[in-house]
Amino acid sequence: MKGPGRGGDRPPVAAAAPGGPPPATPPALEVRSLDVPFGRAPGLTGISFQVARGERFSLVGASGAGKTSLLRALSGSGPLTAGSVLVEGEEVTGLPPEGRGMVLLSQRPLLFPHLSVFENVAFPLRVRGTPRSEIPSRVEEALGAVRMEGFGARRPQSLSGGQAHRVALARAVVSRPPVLLLDEPLTSLDPSLREEVRRSILAIREEYGPALVLVTHDLQEAGRMADRVGVVLEGTLAQVASPELLFRRPASAAVARFLGLPNELPGWISRDGSLVLGGWGVGSPGHRPLPPTPTSRSREGPVRALFGSDAGRLLPKGSGGIPGRVEEVRHHPEGAVIRVTLLPGQGDARRTDPVPVAPPRGASVPSRPLSCLVSVDPLRPPLPGEVVEVSFQPDRMHIFDE
Amino acid sequence: MTNPSRGRYLLLAALALWTLLPLAVLVLASTGGASRFPSLWRDTPGSGGWGVILRDAPRLQAALWGSLGLAMATGLLAAAAGLPLGRALSGLKGWARTLGAGSAFLPVAAPPLALGVGLQYTFLRLGLGGSFPGVLLAHLVPAAGYTSLYFLSVFSAFDGEVEEEARRLGAGPWQTLGRVTLPLLRRPLAEAFILGFLVSWAQVPLTLLVGQGRVRTLTVEVLAWMGAGQDALAAAGSLCLALPPLLLMATVALAVRRAEVVAP
Repeated sequence: MKGPGRGGDRPPVAAAAPGGPPPATPPALEVRSLDVPFGRAPGLTGISFQVARGERFSLVGASGAGKTSLLRALSGSGPLTAGSVLVEGEEVTGLPPEGRGMVLLSQRPLLFPHLSVFENVAFPLRVRGTPRSEIPSRVEEALGAVRMEGFGARRPQSLSGGQAHRVALARAVVSRPPVLLLDEPLTSLDPSLREEVRRSILAIREEYGPALVLVTHDLQEAGRMADRVGVVLEGTLAQVASPELLFRRPASAAVARFLGLPNELPGWISRDGSLVLGGWGVGSPGHRPLPPTPTSRSREGPVRALFGSDAGRLLPKGSGGIPGRVEEVRHHPEGAVIRVTLLPGQGDARRTDPVPVAPPRGASVPSRPLSCLVSVDPLRPPLPGEVVEVSFQPDRMHIFDE
Repeated sequence: MTNPSRGRYLLLAALALWTLLPLAVLVLASTGGASRFPSLWRDTPGSGGWGVILRDAPRLQAALWGSLGLAMATGLLAAAAGLPLGRALSGLKGWARTLGAGSAFLPVAAPPLALGVGLQYTFLRLGLGGSFPGVLLAHLVPAAGYTSLYFLSVFSAFDGEVEEEARRLGAGPWQTLGRVTLPLLRRPLAEAFILGFLVSWAQVPLTLLVGQGRVRTLTVEVLAWMGAGQDALAAAGSLCLALPPLLLMATVALAVRRAEVVAP
């Protein structure tokens, strides 16, 4: 018996080139103003995005942000209170899960324990009424795509964690659904299995070309796996962008915080357009740290700067940098950082960018000293307690309105 | 130092003696020609109750078939009713769940005689007294109570995500039931069937009160033989009562095990 609505079983498609022209055909998945409740709480509101055929779209957000609830609502397994879902241009919002043309792959592989690996993978084909003669070749093809040939007779209980994930992947794509939803597929795996399953996901994308919607809380994973990333924050989709653009230009301070930028300092844009942090001028007058973003300030006023430790650097003493005291030195595999407390009101006479005297309305010189993390040479780090001079690269900072 | 396994074997031997002794006594009593209380041994040689049973085979056969039909139907219907009822109960929370489970437990907890009297009044008014369907319905009352409570515990541990996964993979509700839910519940279903079968097979008060003596089962016949002082016949009939459930349980257990081992 074939389920109502949309089915799978379509030929493979070529993957859309990231950043290429918009497809002439409707997107594989289109989500319009979706509201997803969390119990009785409002949950997610106004979620909208599109995913093209063959595109990899990642939804990232903190644990509990509602990513899984969103996926469940899309697949028809969870509730939604408003909005619509379209698959290949057709409205599927009111359809049951089996009629949506989407397959949701859960975090743990839910293989049917009473069926062999072969029968597990054949399941979507059998329930869709695929001719019996086609089933063996389709199953073998899907198992081959995840490098699980020869495992058909095995029982799910006899598979390792990574093997079970790969079989679940094969089962998810065997009916060629237009959209594949992956709920934290790598989270529960150890690093070696993670690589194994990651390769399988990329392989099935090449082989079957579904639109992939991948939910994760791991930014590195999202950056590595996705063509575009959507950030779920505070009940909304705060930003949708390519990984490169997201990391380079977060749309808001909340997104920048989510990206894990360790430094957040209050400051202001002075009348001459320069950035002032902790009472110290950063960069030359008139320099704009970044092209304007919807929330970045283009005129005088209080701002908040978020940046990574690589935005700051240590200068030789007497170079006219911002003075600060080293509070601690942290070593990690990629290098070393120091925590520096910027010393207020001790501007060096040789600085080329003198401290503005008066902050604009709404801004003030902080009463307490500011501290931040700055990358240093791990072989020659300064000592705790030492007074050093640092400078900041405004083009590596993200500036937002207060 | 005492050997712990020795104590375990002694306990097992005591248990075996406790359960097998009545059967052994029945075997002896069934072959007795005539005996005087309290002697268990035959006073006169003969084929005992077996001879009478074989001579009056049609009566025994009718009672046996009546019992088997009733117990099989009760087992099947109790399992079929217990599954959705148990599932519905498992989905309830708080006082609703307590109330639901209490309702299922009531016919199990109530003395069969009290239940039988209540059902007799009801079924006589409905015109079901003295009929096979009436007795079947009466047996179903405690049997479905047992199976509902049994499935309540089964579904409390059942992973409903597997069913959702089937739906997400394209299966409709009935396909999910037939291809996933029921195969996964094969063993609980078999056990619920056996439970319902046993409740009906051993039932006396409900059969007598609702069946009004017109529905003859093996238990009713054995009771009649006991009342008539035909101890050897009653003993032979009791052995006939004991064997089918044992055979059924062994058969069902083997069938379920085979189905679980062989991949579909």
